[in-house]
Amino acid sequence: MNLMRVIIFTWEYPPRIVGQLAEYTNVLATQLSKNKIDTYVVSYHPYLTGVTNEPNGVKTTRVANPVRTHIGVLTWVLTLNEEVERAAANIYYTHKKIDLIDVYDWHFIPAAVTLQKSLGIPFIYSVESLEDHRSHGADAPSNMAIRGIEWLGFYEATVVVAKSDWMRDEIIKIHNVPREKIRIVSQNANGWINNVMKLYAESSGAMGKR
Amino acid sequence: MTSDPTVMMLSWEYPPRVIGGISPHVYFLSKSLAEVGVKVYVVTCDFPGAPTHETIDGVEVYRIDSYKTPSPDFATWVYLMNLNMQKEAAALTASLDKKIDIFHAHDWLVATAGIGLKHIFRKPLLATMHSTEVGRRDGVHTATEKMIHETENWLTYGSWRVICCSDYMVQHVKWAFGLPDNKLVMVPNGVNPRAYENIDNQALDSLRREFALPEEKLVLFVGRLVYEKGAQVLINAIPKVLEKVNAKFVIVGSGYMRDQLYNIVKSMGLEHKVLFAGFLEEEKLLRLQTCADVSVVPSLFEPFGIVALEAMAAKSPVVVSDTGGLSEIVEHDSTGIKVFPNNTESLAWGIIRVLSDDKFRSQISYNGYEKIKQKYNWGKIALETKGIYVNVLGEYSKSFWA
Repeated sequence: MNLMRVIIFTWEYPPRIVGQLAEYTNVLATQLSKNKIDTYVVSYHPYLTGVTNEPNGVKTTRVANPVRTHIGVLTWVLTLNEEVERAAANIYYTHKKIDLIDVYDWHFIPAAVTLQKSLGIPFIYSVESLEDHRSHGADAPSNMAIRGIEWLGFYEATVVVAKSDWMRDEIIKIHNVPREKIRIVSQNANGWINNVMKLYAESSGAMGKR
Repeated sequence: MTSDPTVMMLSWEYPPRVIGGISPHVYFLSKSLAEVGVKVYVVTCDFPGAPTHETIDGVEVYRIDSYKTPSPDFATWVYLMNLNMQKEAAALTASLDKKIDIFHAHDWLVATAGIGLKHIFRKPLLATMHSTEVGRRDGVHTATEKMIHETENWLTYGSWRVICCSDYMVQHVKWAFGLPDNKLVMVPNGVNPRAYENIDNQALDSLRREFALPEEKLVLFVGRLVYEKGAQVLINAIPKVLEKVNAKFVIVGSGYMRDQLYNIVKSMGLEHKVLFAGFLEEEKLLRLQTCADVSVVPSLFEPFGIVALEAMAAKSPVVVSDTGGLSEIVEHDSTGIKVFPNNTESLAWGIIRVLSDDKFRSQISYNGYEKIKQKYNWGKIALETKGIYVNVLGEYSKSFWA
């Protein structure tokens, strides 16, 4: 049987916990692995770097930023993306096939976009929060740049995932994303993991082979 | 492996976008590589009026969206621009069936784009280090400078070979990033003397009148108005020169020190002797260099010193500070004059020496011109660079990435 292979990109993953995303992606990866999906996680950690085969069957790669000194979150994120690309490329060249990348929030959208354009790996953009809400609509150049990266993600993703109707409407309102491109997947709904897997299967086939 | 490699050059500037020396370097290097059989794709920033794709002298040039939304600062812009550059270069490489053998990055300004492309396509990355942050700033003092320095370090670490344009720069880069000797290669920068041929003399006279009075000698400075280029040293030397020679000082270029330099000139009461010409289009600059009675390169830090070579190609005598690549280009009293760096007395002495002896002046300009024709020849440089590509691909073919 042809196993489905998925990489989750998330900037927080246990033991590094910043907000709710770390726990959510941990539960997701564990459940996917339990359901016979070959599951990889690429995340950031300042020093616990490298590849780990977790007891739950998930394979994690944690990367550090090769540039230690930064002047803002943008330079930090944009340099870190190169390491995320390197980690994902290593998985790709080991197996010659990745079906899908599931990207959480804007941080690793640049890496996902490059991987899609270069190696033909489709990605879905799972929205945890938006810059407009985090910065209360501030319009400084750094907010605009982050919003621009979010927009790039919405534009290039095969499917956009929101966790609620409200978030879907916000995405449509702020970024003009077509309604039919956005799917709602809630952890609280019945059959959550089945819904996720169904979505993965649809999204990975949607792109075709490049 | 075929002997004719395909290379993707990444550069933040390429004509008509000209900010510093990288733009002409990448232009002539790419064109000369194409002449010796290397297939070259240049991926560079866009420029108003320039097409997004064109073929120039056998080189495929692609201009990317350089991120024109306001940026928090220059360094952050560089990384945002690199996001776009990498995205478009990745799509281009994929559209060529991934048939790019080598990615060649010019300076930290395209570091993140180049590093990512290397890993994603698993092809060798080469870097040409035209300069370093620690050299430009005489050390790293702020978070921005440190970040740029670390990015340069990462780029050189990730590169199969690091090319520098002078022996001085090889030593400097080795020291700055702790690189092993066998990773560094010296390939000189080139100059195109043909650009200065066929300039009509009448046009020169009228051009000269735009800049100086007939009785004034014309002293020319060409460079960005930033600390390391040393325009401030020249300006402080002006009163001493004027004690001996009647001259007009023409400052070509722009930069963050412009207003500061102008205020110094004003405070000395020398506005009538100094002309800030700003940025000049290439044609005009070539002719102005040909008219100059002396070209001054007073840099405090100069990895190579292309502007000295250009002046020599224009048969203009040169006075340069004895530092970095300039020390290697100029032979004192033969192909130019070398003076102590950051020393106004010494610089004034050099300018006066050239301007007060017509015979000496024509002798050093003749010698300088002959020297650059032999040594700094783009055809020769392209062959050396192609040799590096072929060597790297030979080593690569034995690696597990191949």
